Amino acid sequence: MAQVAAPRSQGLGPGFWPVTIVMTVVNIILGIYIATFDINKYLPEAAAPAGDIDLLFKFMAAIGNAIFLYVTVYVVYFAIVWRRRPSDAPDAIGIQIHDAPTLELWWTIIPSVLVIIIAIFSVKIWMNLQNASGDVLTMEAIGHQFKFEFRYPNLKSSVYDEMHVPVDTPVTVQVTSSDVIHSFWVPEVRLKYDMVPGLVQSVRFTPNRIGKYRVICTEFCGTNHANMFATMYIDSPQDFNRWIAAQAKLQASSGGAVALQGGTAAAGQTLFANKCSSCHSVGPFEQKIVGPGLGKLLSDTTHPNLVTGEKPNAVDISHVLIKGYQGPDDSQGKNGPSLGAMPNRDANGLSNSDIANLVAYLTSLSQSK
Amino acid sequence: MAIAVPHPPGGHIDTHSDHIHPAPRTFIGKYIFSLDAKVIGVQYMIAGLLFFCISGLLAEVVRIQLMRPEGGFVSNDTYNGVYTLHASGMIWMTIIPLVTGGFGNYVMPLMIGARDVAFPWLNLVSFWIFPPAGLMLFGSFLIGAPDAGWTEYPPVSVQGPPGTSLWCAAIFLIGISSTMTGLNFMVTIMKMRAPGMTFTRMPLFVWAQLATALLNMVATVALSAALAALFMERQFGVPFYDPGRGGSPILWQHMFWFYSHPAVYIMILPAFGFISEILPTFARKPIFGYKMIAFSSIAIALLGFTVWAHHMFTSGMAPWMQLPFMILTMIIAVPTGLKVFGWTATLWGGKIEYHPAMLFALGFIVVFTLGGVTGIFLSSVPVDLHWHGTYAVVAHIHYVLFGGSIFGVFAAVYYWWPKITGRMMSNKLGVLHFWLTFVSFNATFLPMHWLGLMGMPRRVAQYSDTTPLLINQFTIVNQFISISSFVLAASTLVLLYNMAHSLIAGKKAPPNPWNARTLEWQISSPPPYYNFKKIPAVLKNPYEFGEPLPYLGLDPSDKDDHHPSPTDHPTPAHA
Repeated sequence: MAQVAAPRSQGLGPGFWPVTIVMTVVNIILGIYIATFDINKYLPEAAAPAGDIDLLFKFMAAIGNAIFLYVTVYVVYFAIVWRRRPSDAPDAIGIQIHDAPTLELWWTIIPSVLVIIIAIFSVKIWMNLQNASGDVLTMEAIGHQFKFEFRYPNLKSSVYDEMHVPVDTPVTVQVTSSDVIHSFWVPEVRLKYDMVPGLVQSVRFTPNRIGKYRVICTEFCGTNHANMFATMYIDSPQDFNRWIAAQAKLQASSGGAVALQGGTAAAGQTLFANKCSSCHSVGPFEQKIVGPGLGKLLSDTTHPNLVTGEKPNAVDISHVLIKGYQGPDDSQGKNGPSLGAMPNRDANGLSNSDIANLVAYLTSLSQSK
Repeated sequence: MAIAVPHPPGGHIDTHSDHIHPAPRTFIGKYIFSLDAKVIGVQYMIAGLLFFCISGLLAEVVRIQLMRPEGGFVSNDTYNGVYTLHASGMIWMTIIPLVTGGFGNYVMPLMIGARDVAFPWLNLVSFWIFPPAGLMLFGSFLIGAPDAGWTEYPPVSVQGPPGTSLWCAAIFLIGISSTMTGLNFMVTIMKMRAPGMTFTRMPLFVWAQLATALLNMVATVALSAALAALFMERQFGVPFYDPGRGGSPILWQHMFWFYSHPAVYIMILPAFGFISEILPTFARKPIFGYKMIAFSSIAIALLGFTVWAHHMFTSGMAPWMQLPFMILTMIIAVPTGLKVFGWTATLWGGKIEYHPAMLFALGFIVVFTLGGVTGIFLSSVPVDLHWHGTYAVVAHIHYVLFGGSIFGVFAAVYYWWPKITGRMMSNKLGVLHFWLTFVSFNATFLPMHWLGLMGMPRRVAQYSDTTPLLINQFTIVNQFISISSFVLAASTLVLLYNMAHSLIAGKKAPPNPWNARTLEWQISSPPPYYNFKKIPAVLKNPYEFGEPLPYLGLDPSDKDDHHPSPTDHPTPAHA
C-alpha cells in the first residue's frame, strides 16, 4: 500500500510563507511602479480621454500583473518543492487532499470583488466617454478604400488624408464610410471607432497637445488596407484658423471659377442628353434611373435640398457637377437610400462652359414647369 | 464481497458482453470508413496535424513578410490570403477537430467505459466532411484566397476574391461536422456511461467534452446561417449585409460572434480537460476541487453565450448595450480563475514528475493565465477602444489559442500517445520540445502586446507608414518576433521527429505507463477493437491515488500486454 499523507507538522511545505511574503512585496512594488508609470512619455496622451483610459489601464495592469505573478510563481515553486525525488518509492503519492472549502470560498470572493471594482471603474470611465464634451468643432470623417476624407463646416470641399483640429477645443468627429467598414484610430487619443457604411458614430475628444499624429485604419478594408492612414495635426487655434483659410482659398481657386452667368439652356439640353440622361430623367425626384430625376430641382418641396445637403442654387448645383457624388450620405433617409454615385467633372469630361450650360438648363427645367 | 453498484442514470447498459460487433476485416473497413470512434479519432488527429503544419507554414510567410516594414516578400493580396487561411486553418481545421473530433473521439468513450459513441455512422459522416472541407479551404488559393481575415466582415468580404465563397462553403461544412459531433458526444455522455459512473464520478475531460458538445450543438448553427447569407449575397446578390440596399453589416458581426465567442470555449474547454487529467496523474494527487472544476466548465459554457458583443465595442452598437456585455465578460474571469487556482493547488503537496505532458500542462497554466488576464483588459470598453484591432489582440488570441489550446494538445499528445500507438515516445526529446516551444512562444507573442499598444494595427502587409516616429523600434521588434517564430516552427519538428521515431523504433508501451486511474489506462495499449469485453462498474471518481482502483468487472484479457487484435480475442458472437 502506498504511503498516504504527509505529517501534519509539515504545514504548507518548505518555504511557502517566505515565497508568499516575497511575492506580495514584489507585487506591491510592481503595483506602485505601474501606478506611477508615465505612459505619456512613450505614447503621448494627446487628448482628453487618453489620461482617463490610461489610468484604468494602469489599474488593471497592476491587478492583472499581481494575479499572473502569483499563479506563475506558485506553479514554479510548487513544481520545484513538490517534485518527485530519486529517493521516493515508485508508488509514492502526494498528499491526498480533495479541497479546502474556506480557501475555495476566498479565491471565489477575492476575484469577484476585484472584478466588481474593475467593472465599476470601467463603467465610470465609460460614462465620462459618453458625456464627453464635443461639438464646439463638429466635423466628418468618411472612410474610402483606401483614404480618409474629412469635411469641415467652413469648407466647401473635402480634404483628404489630412485633418486639423484646434488644441483645447472639444471636437466631435462623425465617422462613417462610403464603401466597406474602416476604422478611425488615433493611438495618442486612445479612441477607435469603426467607420460603418450606413451608420454614423461620434468620436468625441478634446485635443490638448499640439503635434502631428497618425489616424490609422484598423479594420481590414481591402488590398491596400495597410496603406490607409491620415495625418492628424493638433494646431494652436491661430494655426488652425490659418489652415482653414488657406484651404478655403485653395478650393476657391482650384480648377478655375465657373462663370455661371454665361450658360445657355439650349446647349445644356444637348449636353444633358449626351452625358446625363443615362442616369437622370427630367421628371420629378422619384423618377429615378440611377440617380434621382432632376426636372424639379429648384421647386421640389419634398426635397428642398440637393443630395449633398446643399441648397439648390446655381453655385451648389455646379459643385455637385464638379465634385461628383460619392453615394448616399443622407443617413436620415430623407432622400431615400440607393442614390448611386456620380463621377466628377473630369470623369464626365465637363469644361467650365459645359457646367455653366448644364446649370442653366437644369434651372430652366424647374422654372418652366 | 458484494458491492452495491448504483444503476446508471437513464441507461440500461448490460454489464455482460453480449453486443460486441465483429471487427471489420477489410483494410477500407478498418482504416478508411471505420465506424470505430478510436480509428475516427486517429483520422481526425492525422488530418488535424496535416492542417496544423500547413497553417503553421502560412504563419511563417506572415512573419517573413513583416521582417521588413515595407513588406515585399509576397504581394498584398497574397499576404491577406495567407493570414486569413492561417487563422481559418488553425481554428476550424486544426484546433476544433483535434480537441473534439480527435481526442474527444478517442479518449471520451474509453473514459466513460463505452464501446463506441452513440451514433457511429454519424461519427463517420462528421469525419468525412472534414478533410474535403479542409481541402476546399486551402484550395481557395487556386482561385483567389479569401482576404478579409477569419472574421470575414462584410461588405469587404462581399467584394472579396472568388475564394471567399469557397471559404464560406468550407466553413459551412466543418460547422455541420461540428454540430453532428456535438450531438453525438452529448448523447454518448448522457446515455452511455458505465454503470456507477454518476456525473460526479466522470473524469474531468468528460465534463469538458460535455460542455463543449453543448456549445457545438447550439452555437454552430448561427455561424451556418451567417455563412449561408454571405454566400447568397456574394453569389446571387441577396443584400443581407449591404447597407445601400437595406442590409446591415453589423448583422454579420452579431451572427458571427454569437458562434465565434462560444467557439473560443469550444477550443479551450477540452484543453482544460486535458490539463485536469494530466495534473493529478503526474502529481499523484486528486484534482483540487473536483466539483468546482467540473461545474465551472458548464458555467463558462453557459456564460459564453451571453458575451459575444464584446468583440463589437467599436462597431457601432447602441452604447447602453456595451455595459451588460462588458460586465458579463468580466464575470467569466471568476469560474476561469477557479480552474486556474484549483490546478495550482493540485500541485501543492504532490510528487511531481517532469514528464513532457506535465511540463506542457504547467506551461499551459502560466501562459493561459497571461492570456486570460489580457482578456480582462479587452473586456473593459474604454481600454478596448484602444486595444481593439491591434497587435495586442493578436497577442491575446495567440496566448489563449496557442498557449491554451495548442499547449493542451501537445500535453495530450505526450499523455495519450502510448495509449493510441502502443509505443513510448522519447522523454528527452519531449522535454527539449517543451523548452524550445515555451521560450520561443513567449518570445514570439509577448512583444506583440507592446507593438499593438504603441500603434500597430493587425492584418497589415506593411507597417512602414503607420507610425513613422517608431518605425525603427517596430522593425527591430518585428524582426525579433519573426526569428522567434522560426524557432517556434522548428520546435514542432522535434515533436514530429519524436512521433516518427516512436512509431518506427519506439519501445512497446505497457497498458498504463503513467499509473493513471481513468478507465482508458486499465486496458491494453492500444485498446482492443471493442474497448471493454465486459463493461466495468465504477465505484468512485478516478482521482483517488493510494486507494485500489475503483472499477469492478474489468476483463483481464483486455489488458494483455501483447496487442490483442480482435481475431486473437474471439468475441462472444464468434465463440
